[in-house]
Amino acid sequence: MTGNFNDATSIYLQIAAMLEDDILRGVLLEQERVPSTNELARAYSINPATAAKGINLLVEEGILYKKRGIGMFVAQGAHDKIIAKRKDAFYETYVTSLVREARALGLTKEELKAMIERAQQ
Amino acid sequence: MEQTLQASHLVKRYGKKEVLHDVSLTIEPGVIYGLIGRNGAGKTTLLSILTAQNTHDAGTVTYGGQPVWENEKALADLCFSRELSGQILFGQNTYKVKDYLLAASMYYPRWDKAYADQLVQRFGLDVKKKICKLSKGMMSMVTIVLALASRAPITILDEPVAGLDVVAREDFYKILLDDYTETGRTFVISTHIIEEAANVFEKVIILNNGQIAAVENTEDFVASFSFVSGREEDVDAVTAGHEVLHTERMGRQKGVAVRAARAVMERAAAGRDVDISPVSLQKAFVYLTGEEAHHETA
Repeated sequence: MTGNFNDATSIYLQIAAMLEDDILRGVLLEQERVPSTNELARAYSINPATAAKGINLLVEEGILYKKRGIGMFVAQGAHDKIIAKRKDAFYETYVTSLVREARALGLTKEELKAMIERAQQ
Repeated sequence: MEQTLQASHLVKRYGKKEVLHDVSLTIEPGVIYGLIGRNGAGKTTLLSILTAQNTHDAGTVTYGGQPVWENEKALADLCFSRELSGQILFGQNTYKVKDYLLAASMYYPRWDKAYADQLVQRFGLDVKKKICKLSKGMMSMVTIVLALASRAPITILDEPVAGLDVVAREDFYKILLDDYTETGRTFVISTHIIEEAANVFEKVIILNNGQIAAVENTEDFVASFSFVSGREEDVDAVTAGHEVLHTERMGRQKGVAVRAARAVMERAAAGRDVDISPVSLQKAFVYLTGEEAHHETA
């Protein structure tokens, strides 16, 4: 995990997102132990309760699971789960706002399509 | 064993001036609290009363249900590391750092000398120096060493980062979290440097003009504010019915801070073209305790 926090979202969400990034990048592999809340707290100078909130979020989503007395682990299938979740989020945060902005600018459907194709090249 | 420290309906007067008005506060075990308030808000007075180092005119302070005043058992669990000063009542503070720490080691029953020595080394403190010869930052380091090495179940630090440079401040928060993750003891930390400490505080206590303005989970508190900006009509429509804490205007643009969660504002916006942004702890603090707030309550 790397990077700094931004002010736009809660720290616990950023902690969860950083762990997800590490799973996507293969920094953390499935069935591998993830840093504990105390390790995260120390590494990022945040309250352990905040770190725990981020980890619990991923536990609820089935991305991490708890092994009693040992720690938190990456669940089997976590990688695909994160991809699916991020695709939904991609639609919500990028595509809908892209369409809204295109409408505000008076772009036609065809012009927008052409722009997307140009960006893909 | 750690217990709850509780202040109920505290009133404190200095002469005719009342500096704490009916303050009630519960310090729960195992939480890092941040105490923030403007200069003269009563922070140090409150902290010294909580630890029976100052008298009060009404109300009670209890620890595990027992009054703290002249209660040796309770006081053994409480550490209040005051800001140091080069001047004391009768002239210069000519105590050497090692004498100050030695006195602390006799006062606090759980004193951890090895830890104190380790911290002194980490900060590069010269224990043979007189306190009046220390820089402001070095004085802060001494108060940090005292607080942490006291190993008191409830440890209170008054402005521990005052005068520390940014490297030393970051180091302090690391040391604090190292200790906290190991011991889980309770900390109450007053500070003026809010933003960088915001992530360390599980709960925040806001003291304003001698009154408690908020005691809340830091994240929940911050999330209860939003900043809405856009064309005046739109902003007014979106924020209607919510308490406006602060207003900024530039041309036709208007921005207001409201005590409402982002999701609430997003629902209220419903298609109107406004920007809704979060507010930092520092901003939330300014909105609650700044000049405008004073006028409104005046």
